[in-house]
Amino acid sequence: MAQERRKPTPLIVALVVCLFAQGSIQAGYLFKSWKQNFAPKSNVADFSGVNPDMYLFALAGFREMIAGILWVRADTFFDNGNYDAILPIIRLVTLLDPHEIDVFATGMWHIGYNFTDEEQRSDRRYIPSALALGKEGCAENPQTYELFFETGWLWYHKIDDDYDKAVYWFNLAQTKPDMIPARKNLLAMAYQRDGDPVKGLDTYLSLYKTAADVASKDAAFGNRQNRDTLENNVDTTLVRLVQRGFIAETKHEPLTDYDVSPPFDVGFSVKATVIEPRRINFEGTWNVLPVGTRIRVVLKDEDFPNSEPAGMKWDATDSVSLDPPKDTTFMQDQLFVKNRRFSHKVDMSKDPTMYPFKSPSYVLEFYYNPRSAPPHIQDKFSWNGEGMTDKNFLHTDIRPGQKVVYWKVPLTRDQLLRRGAYAMDGGTVPVVKTPGYKDSTKTYEKDNTIIEIPSLRAGAK
Amino acid sequence: MFRPIFSIAGTTIGEAIRRKVLLVILLIGAFLLILAPSLGILSARSETTVLKGMMLGVIQLTSAVIAIVLTVYMIPNEIERRTIYTILSKPVQRWQFLVGKYLGAVGALGLMMALMGLLMVLMFRFEMGMTSVSDLSDLLKAPLMYFVQMSILASVAVAFSTFVTPLVNFFLSGSIYLIGSLFNPFFETIQSSPNTPAVAKGFATLVNAILPNFANYNVQNPIINPGQEIHNEGSYYMMATVYGVFYILIALIVGILVFDRREV
Repeated sequence: MAQERRKPTPLIVALVVCLFAQGSIQAGYLFKSWKQNFAPKSNVADFSGVNPDMYLFALAGFREMIAGILWVRADTFFDNGNYDAILPIIRLVTLLDPHEIDVFATGMWHIGYNFTDEEQRSDRRYIPSALALGKEGCAENPQTYELFFETGWLWYHKIDDDYDKAVYWFNLAQTKPDMIPARKNLLAMAYQRDGDPVKGLDTYLSLYKTAADVASKDAAFGNRQNRDTLENNVDTTLVRLVQRGFIAETKHEPLTDYDVSPPFDVGFSVKATVIEPRRINFEGTWNVLPVGTRIRVVLKDEDFPNSEPAGMKWDATDSVSLDPPKDTTFMQDQLFVKNRRFSHKVDMSKDPTMYPFKSPSYVLEFYYNPRSAPPHIQDKFSWNGEGMTDKNFLHTDIRPGQKVVYWKVPLTRDQLLRRGAYAMDGGTVPVVKTPGYKDSTKTYEKDNTIIEIPSLRAGAK
Repeated sequence: MFRPIFSIAGTTIGEAIRRKVLLVILLIGAFLLILAPSLGILSARSETTVLKGMMLGVIQLTSAVIAIVLTVYMIPNEIERRTIYTILSKPVQRWQFLVGKYLGAVGALGLMMALMGLLMVLMFRFEMGMTSVSDLSDLLKAPLMYFVQMSILASVAVAFSTFVTPLVNFFLSGSIYLIGSLFNPFFETIQSSPNTPAVAKGFATLVNAILPNFANYNVQNPIINPGQEIHNEGSYYMMATVYGVFYILIALIVGILVFDRREV
């Protein structure tokens, strides 16, 4: 069509002006603000488990949509019991949408708790990854208490040791405005388990003051219940501080008439027999009659990475690995004491991937920490083991600031796998035992075993 | 000056609404929005999170397809059917025709996106029991930003439609959308990497300043996961809209310059 053509100069000028204006807005404001508020923090190169089509979608701005689809898929795997398939999906979802708090929390729990052997022992080689996921979730979601609390809970409940770490994470959770009041109590309990009951009491008192204030303004059942629970916790802690001689000790008074005095000799002894390849029988003594004692037993490579007595440096890594080192062995179990003895078989033969036994040398460790003991036993031992002793295996250097019972003994792969001189057909049966261990003919496995429950104090006298 | 533009825009909206292919895409989008709540039973919070992510994703994806399909045929169809001769024989300038067509496309797109946004709000209100007006209106922030995003995409496709065939335009506009969505994250990586040479950083800055940055409008994450602190949210949305207007002007000027010189 013949139409009069305009000179393009004004349009070109307008084009240049618009180009300059949009470039300035993009570079000068939008990109910085986008980076601060909306940029994905995860590295796109990490999405190695996503299908190519999903990868493209995720990159093109549909990350949350893909994350949602994957999370729904993971839920169906949970329903089907296909736990192995869930882990990579959880990892992908947290990378695609690092603000999915439920996925981080579920992922930590799943990694930390759900990978077990046939006898329901957790694969503790995964715990550093569970903690790393928690740390990553906290960094991505610093506005909410949830992942700080979950990380603290993993230390408090699953690792059940190194309570200073639980205190650290619970304290961080406490600083978040959305922290649920009832969950705040756990910080006080963590302080007590960390051997600092005075800080525990201070925490309870502070929480009680707030709860009483809230209940006076709004007498809803939940508010009154929280206040009353805290009041009870304050009372109980005060009684324990006195009875366990903690207050007397801080005043440098003699502990003669307190429950922790004289220290009770737990009389630990143990015999470990490798009855078959990868199967160990533990028998031993522990003079504490009331039920509730669980002695930790650990079997691990002698050169296990980041090893610590009866454990490891659980938070040694910041990277989430879905594949713990396949050639390392770390078994942790508990020996439950009943009528002053324990007897327990550990079968590692059905789970070769969890217990590969690739190393030539191993260390078998036994560990008892009164900080993890239930309150009725702590009433005698106190928070840091002040009321506990053992003439052979008491240590104060294994966990600084507390008395623990600890013994370790080396074992070889040949012993554990019953090879060579320890072969099943005619070889020596590998047995390791503490000095002074005495075999007992008594069994306590009948259902009608009567458990007497005198107090530890009475038992000591 | 504006009367022919509005007249062409109105006609274009009517044509777009009657196009079966667009209605089918819209219906698929609406169907997915209705279907989304039944996809999985998760914990209450997870379900809401997943549902928001899915629904906003469906709206964005459907809108992108509609924006491209709507605009790639716009000029070529007029030329092919020779209706352009009738229009340009009247006192209508080519730029007025192009701008009118674009505004019509954006109007139709806005109607379709509004329908999907309304459907999403209704689903959350009645299916998920979300009653808070502020929560429901928060949900609409993302589709509003998507509308600006799709308006830019439509302007790019209209500009291309002045000199390439619809099929080529479909892939060209789709690629621009993909690259424009990807470039912000890549640019951030390039800028923050100490190993990137200064020349590469400079080139990336230049590309970042020229390319339409569709990622600016992917603001759904804080809406899907509430509780995150967004600094100067209002200013960001306003500046992103101003940026969008400038980019639309750029695309339309390029389109006008090409269309002016094209033998029709």
